[in-house]
Amino acid sequence: MKRRVIAAGIAMTLGLTATACGGDDGGDSASDGSATDGKGKTLTVWIMEGTNPDARPFFKAAGKAFEKKTGAKIKVEYQQWATAQKKFTTAIEGGEDQVPDVAEVGTTWVPQFADAGALVDVTDKVKESGLSDDLVEGLKDAGTLDGKQYGMPWYAGVRSIVYRKDVFEKHKIKAPTNWKELRQAALTLKDKEPDMIPFPVAGGAEMFATAFVWGSGGELAVQKGDKWKSEINSKKSVEGIQYYTDLAKKDKISPAKVNTWTEKEVGDAWNKGQVAMSVGGNWTPKAIVDANPDLEGKLAAIPIPGQDGGMGRSFLGGSYLSTFKTDKQDLAWEFVKMITTGKFATQWAEETNYFPGQNSELEKIAAKKDPLVEPFAKQMIEAGATVPKSKAYAEIQASQVVTGMIQSILNGKASVQEAADKAAKDMDAIFAKDE
Amino acid sequence: MKETLVDGGSEASESRVHRPPDAPVPSPENQAALRRKRLVGLTRPWLLLAPALIVLAGLLLWPLIQVGKLSMEDYEVKFGGGVGTFTGLDHYTDLLSSSLLWKTVLPNTLFFAVACVGLTVALGTAVALLLQRLGPVWRLICSISILSAWAMPAVTGTYVWIWLFQPQDGMFSQLAGALGMIDPATTNWFTERIPFYAIATLNVVHHGFPFVAITVFAGLLTIPKELYEAGMLDGANAWQRFWKITVPTIKPVFLVVTILSTIWDFKVFTQIFLMPGGSGSNPDVYNLGVYSYIQAFAKNDYGTGAASAVLLTLLLLAITVVYIRTLFKQGEEDL
Repeated sequence: MKRRVIAAGIAMTLGLTATACGGDDGGDSASDGSATDGKGKTLTVWIMEGTNPDARPFFKAAGKAFEKKTGAKIKVEYQQWATAQKKFTTAIEGGEDQVPDVAEVGTTWVPQFADAGALVDVTDKVKESGLSDDLVEGLKDAGTLDGKQYGMPWYAGVRSIVYRKDVFEKHKIKAPTNWKELRQAALTLKDKEPDMIPFPVAGGAEMFATAFVWGSGGELAVQKGDKWKSEINSKKSVEGIQYYTDLAKKDKISPAKVNTWTEKEVGDAWNKGQVAMSVGGNWTPKAIVDANPDLEGKLAAIPIPGQDGGMGRSFLGGSYLSTFKTDKQDLAWEFVKMITTGKFATQWAEETNYFPGQNSELEKIAAKKDPLVEPFAKQMIEAGATVPKSKAYAEIQASQVVTGMIQSILNGKASVQEAADKAAKDMDAIFAKDE
Repeated sequence: MKETLVDGGSEASESRVHRPPDAPVPSPENQAALRRKRLVGLTRPWLLLAPALIVLAGLLLWPLIQVGKLSMEDYEVKFGGGVGTFTGLDHYTDLLSSSLLWKTVLPNTLFFAVACVGLTVALGTAVALLLQRLGPVWRLICSISILSAWAMPAVTGTYVWIWLFQPQDGMFSQLAGALGMIDPATTNWFTERIPFYAIATLNVVHHGFPFVAITVFAGLLTIPKELYEAGMLDGANAWQRFWKITVPTIKPVFLVVTILSTIWDFKVFTQIFLMPGGSGSNPDVYNLGVYSYIQAFAKNDYGTGAASAVLLTLLLLAITVVYIRTLFKQGEEDL
């Protein structure tokens, strides 16, 4: 009897371990063929979930238009931001049969996928189509390595400052134009609105912190020759980090609970009407009003103020539509062109509240003079910044070097300089590994 | 089904081994028949085991070999198949000489697992004893409520616990604040190692004890009532009856639930990774699972990730071997 129990136990243990290692399939391969005439062919397209509240009708219409034009069908597979990078990596490892024909690729992923040899260099095709001069410079640059462009910029977003107009007016606070005023405004808010968070210093929000690194003239890393070296512990970078973390540590305008918040939690707090001012993306005002209609008309935005006035740079991120090295590259390019230009590009930008990747389209949006859009457009055109263009930086982000640094300062585990030195060391180790 | 297979196999091998060496020599025909019988006895258990073994080898052994191979390579993902460069034991020497492993990762993993296993088994046993004493209606009600804790997916459960301990706004934070134990505005329980793991322990124990409770309860039902009656007549109190009758009788059940809990609690990943700061921004709370994940899938350093996964496997294997040995020793003593 006893031995039986033991045997059953062992068998169960093995069985349970076995269930833990299921695999997931990559994309499935479609039919063969290689001409641009797409009759009977199907393109597999990977699109990120969440940018467009409901992307399905958009791609239904796009699919119809594409079929009319080329005879080919599209099959859209929606992916999650949180897991997509891993899924792409697995598919790339699997090669031609597993990768999609067309995919939305986050700009920070482009170096990694291009380095693995999975993306098609479309520089010449962009030139042929006469599109190269119209692309938003910062966004074009983010997906161009060694002069080779790996896809078409599709849409972009940028972060600025979002604040509660009604609360600011009530206490006669002016929108800040430099760091001193920003701190002063937050201190007044803390005093007058004790139930609100004046300015969340969110430890898990990487792009909140980088705005202050760039704002004081610092850099994350700089390229020397073909090598990257971290600059996060330079005098100027540390000055920005010091200012940003002191807001929470010394001035207490951000409570301890915010120390582990990501942008998602900041958004939740906005929706509950608990935030007076924060760093926020061009997509946030609409998202906040959608979740809490009471705040309609009560929000305003300004570009991120620079340390001594002017504009501080902030992360300009976005997505490319890239084609992978499959047997349907020409057909795939036709689809990319259709989606990233003209009617479909405008429609996508309108539905998602992001900015299109072409200057001509961007100007149309700026011309509308929407007070919740214009400051972001200005930030994007004049003060956008990109993270280091190296596949190592995607790994640095994934290992949360910057957020780890901010959190260790906020939690009192390290001084600003110590934390920055450690972050610099971690970054350099990853840069060195990938050379 | 598997148990009978294993039993059949061991009986067959025993009958072979225990044939006395000085048995009378059989006639030639008998010898041939005996040889055939021996051959059948030798191959049949393996034939019967073959389907299960093939499936297990495909699902477990092959990936294990691949991970072992990967842990000795620098692997780079390339379109259509990556390239691994053999580096020998470099990843292991790097790993074993890193202070992060010895000061943070291993202690976190070990103490957390020990605490979780201890509490899970203790609580599960207590609940099983309670179930045994209850009447049918309350037993049903209690079983359903503990089973619902078990049925809850780890992700959902973790979010509920995070929500309860949310700094400043969570129920426990407000409670502790109202009692004057903490200042809710300046306390964030997720940033320090001990409170972080205390919350994770609550989560894992809450999710794990129903399995122990149900299994132990099933074991309790097999103990003859007469034993307890005899114990009571001899004047043993409840405490003595538990330790002198219950525990020895269903010891194998306890050993099995302890092995399983140990294995599960050593490789906890979801419950840590989903907590604020648990996904890599707070290196103080790394455990082996998260560390291996960060190395492999964040830093794309598949070699080091694989090496730490191998380390975890070896650790679990060592623990399991010790357990199984005590288990079999126990069995032999009783025979």
